[in-house]
Amino acid sequence: MPADVNIYKALRAELTEVITESPLIKTFVLIPEKEFFFDTGQFIELAVDGIGEAPFTPSSSPLVHDRLEVTVMKTGYVTEYMHNMKPGDLMGIRGPYGRGYPVEKFFGKEVLILGGGCGLAPIRSLLYALEHVVDKLEKVTLCYGSKTPSDCVYKPLFARLNKIDKFETFRTVDKPDDEWNESVGVVTSLLNRIHIDIDKSVAVVCGPPVMMKFTTIRLLEMGYPENKIYLSMEKNMSCGLGKCGHCMMGKFFVCKDGPVFTYNELKDTPDIWS
Amino acid sequence: MFNIFICVYLTLMNSYYSIKRENWEADLIKLSDLFGIYAATENGHLPEYELVNKANTGKIVYNKPKPSTPLKTFFLPVKENVTADLLPGKQRIIIGVPNCDVSALRLLDEIYLDSSFEDIYYKNKRENTYIIASDCFDILEHCHCVTYNVMPYSDSIADLAIVLKGDEVVLRILSERGEQLLKTHFSAVQVTGKDVISYIETRHREVTEILTRMNKGLPDYRMTGDLVNYADDKVWHHHSQRCVSCGACTAICPTCTCFLLIDKPGFHKVKQMDACQYPGFERVAGGEDSLSELPKRFRNRYMCKYVWKPAKFSGLACTGCGRCIEACIGKINKNEIFRELAK
Repeated sequence: MPADVNIYKALRAELTEVITESPLIKTFVLIPEKEFFFDTGQFIELAVDGIGEAPFTPSSSPLVHDRLEVTVMKTGYVTEYMHNMKPGDLMGIRGPYGRGYPVEKFFGKEVLILGGGCGLAPIRSLLYALEHVVDKLEKVTLCYGSKTPSDCVYKPLFARLNKIDKFETFRTVDKPDDEWNESVGVVTSLLNRIHIDIDKSVAVVCGPPVMMKFTTIRLLEMGYPENKIYLSMEKNMSCGLGKCGHCMMGKFFVCKDGPVFTYNELKDTPDIWS
Repeated sequence: MFNIFICVYLTLMNSYYSIKRENWEADLIKLSDLFGIYAATENGHLPEYELVNKANTGKIVYNKPKPSTPLKTFFLPVKENVTADLLPGKQRIIIGVPNCDVSALRLLDEIYLDSSFEDIYYKNKRENTYIIASDCFDILEHCHCVTYNVMPYSDSIADLAIVLKGDEVVLRILSERGEQLLKTHFSAVQVTGKDVISYIETRHREVTEILTRMNKGLPDYRMTGDLVNYADDKVWHHHSQRCVSCGACTAICPTCTCFLLIDKPGFHKVKQMDACQYPGFERVAGGEDSLSELPKRFRNRYMCKYVWKPAKFSGLACTGCGRCIEACIGKINKNEIFRELAK
């Protein structure tokens, strides 16, 4: 790090577009004041001026540096302000922070990705990264679950991915409506439908804690090795710098040592799912 | 050549200088134009750091254990704008710092001077501060530094160490910059006879022995970690009953450094000290909170100090100052808990 860089100062970014993904989820398209580089799975602290900031993993491609997309679920004080923001407003960005997905380790593998709800945001960024190296992958299988059809985010994404050779996607909802013609049930129920060679596979899981917990248990039952299950952990990452202590999970600072961990790294840490 | 340099320097490092107390106080008053000088001064029950001026040099305490406030407050203010311009501040000298506080800086430095994310405000304060450590020739009820291998006198991290013997102030050089400070600003002369040094070394030994005796049966740092890690949930339920989550133990702890970043208009950020003992410390926006229950928060503090921080950092997360025991309004004594666990 260059001397005298202020780690607490945010880069300004102009909000240029707000995309409504679902009743509670919006994607914010931001143009940073200078090029912004991140690895897929790393996170940023996104600030509303004078209100607060919160950690999010960008949902856009890590290969694009002049534009950043962040998908935000309205769930608290800061995110409620974000949902009221309009194109032209300025936001603050700090980061990128932490350890993202080790894409190179997925080369030659069948990548099984399980997402739940807004947990598809980091995964979309990963999918862009994987699309870029598709020649080096055996297969990418995306299983996505949400509560209802209207809670499904990135609706155009699935149709586009299904057109890419080696990619396949499955969706499920807890409560279908009359028009829903895909699966019904929790995301792990999709695992009965997929064909995957576990010995050649890695699994990536991102979603609400309860979904991560039961998905991990199911993957272990299926025979996935503990070090081949990648989890994107969510904690109260306030500083992003490994200093403030809020995201301490056992001996790990989730902000610095994660947010992506293998289950093997976390299995002895208490309360990882809460 | 390099080895010779090291040998010469180590000899200097062990050098003792002495100065009459009245001259020392006069030098301090003169120096207070150049430096912000803070010294542990008499303040009833426990010494407290005060800005040195003509009126209070006589109140400076020597050879005493800890001031009521930990040293960390000089480097980590309760509230600080961490987006403001970094202005060159007056250099500071802090006098009378016990080794439990000096040793705590090892962990603080690891966290805040971490090369990947250096905190320029902390760095600025550290670089602008000279630390004159105090050798503890007295012991307070809850002092237990030696249990965690922290001596009741400093031999590193600080710049100088101070002892009062009769009407002589004796200064021990601990760093190169401490030596420069001493030789530039104080009319002290090198101690040549062995009496003074032998007196100080004898007192070091005696105090260490008394502290060791006093804390017999108290598990050491590593063993405390094992005991805490494997203690039954019932232990934490039982002992947390008197905890009111006031956070006094963390506020007064020389190694607790957790904080919250608060946003202010203009994309300013204020860093405000926080504590894992406050409800909501780990709550995320969705509402999940792994420390929502008091016994879990209570255990978290001990796990952090004796299990998790030691797995991550080399600096101690508890230096045995005992302030948390003194500060607890619920009269919770961690050492009693650890003694009980060790049975």
